[in-house]
Amino acid sequence: MRHRNWRRWFRAFHRDIGYTAVALILAYGISGIAVNHIEDWNPNYKFERRDVAIGALSGSLSEMEGQVVERLRLDRGAVRGHFQETETTLRVFLDEGQEAVVDIHTGRGTLKTLSTRTGLFEVNSLHLNNLKGVWTYVADVFAFALIVLALTGMTMMKGDRGLFGRGKYFVAAGLAIPIGFIVYMYS
Amino acid sequence: MTRLASILFVAASFVACSKSESKKSDSHAPGVAARTAPTKGKGQSFGAGVKLTTPTPIAAIIAEPKKFAGQTVRVEGMVTDVCEMRGCWFEMAGEKPGEKLRFKVTDGEMVFPVDSKGKHAVAEGVVAVKDLTLDDTKAMAVEEAKEKGQDCDPDKITEPKTVVRLDGTGAIFD
Repeated sequence: MRHRNWRRWFRAFHRDIGYTAVALILAYGISGIAVNHIEDWNPNYKFERRDVAIGALSGSLSEMEGQVVERLRLDRGAVRGHFQETETTLRVFLDEGQEAVVDIHTGRGTLKTLSTRTGLFEVNSLHLNNLKGVWTYVADVFAFALIVLALTGMTMMKGDRGLFGRGKYFVAAGLAIPIGFIVYMYS
Repeated sequence: MTRLASILFVAASFVACSKSESKKSDSHAPGVAARTAPTKGKGQSFGAGVKLTTPTPIAAIIAEPKKFAGQTVRVEGMVTDVCEMRGCWFEMAGEKPGEKLRFKVTDGEMVFPVDSKGKHAVAEGVVAVKDLTLDDTKAMAVEEAKEKGQDCDPDKITEPKTVVRLDGTGAIFD
């Protein structure tokens, strides 16, 4: 009787924690795939570069910055500052990662813009804990919930389909994969 | 009863989140001009933050890197570049045109937003100096060019380079 009771409790925990955690499990899973391939792409931002030709710049660096902003019809209020990269290259930085890189003598250069990947940017911020603060504790609770899901999940079935039936082989297979990679890592 | 307990457990598990902000004004040096004000410890903080109060000029570190090697310093300047892949480093403008110092952290330890260029940064870390071989210099130039989406012909590089960077412990962006 007592034996039946704990299994009922575990099933109830597994079911309701599972419902509550499903949104974050999906978010973390999607983000996990996205950031796994960080060598190949930026999972948070899209970068665009456009060639520009605005004519030679003259005057002080601040005046040249003004000419870049005016000729490229950029928002003057969004300008953060400028930097003389080389003797002939001026970079003008604007809000939201926008940047103009212009050759002072020829006026040729690039206008770089970046935009966030909608959806991915947000889930990556949660997954990588960029928010810090209270989110750290929420993420801790979520991690604990995953542990509870894993442990209670193993008790869902009994008999041949339970942990001590064929379940143990699946658990062993799931353990063997990471252990194999860890052994490889140290070999 | 079982259902009530599990509902209470999951309800207690999920709460809200918070975030920090930034603002603006004016500053400094030939070749560099930022509209953002030197931080007073507010703004977007990374890692352990900044504890030192006296800044070391970037120009001084670049001029005599070996004198500062191994020392923990505070530096200030405008963010000119950020790692576009992992956000694991950023570069700050020094006091002279073209002068930059890279602030590097272990991947994932801190993640600097790619849209931070032009912001004013205050950073703290240990000055690291490394004399590269010619092969390493070429490999690094190719890697940097790739990160910036630029072309690089390593055969044009004939001199080995000394790399000076800050192994970062904390930073604040305004």
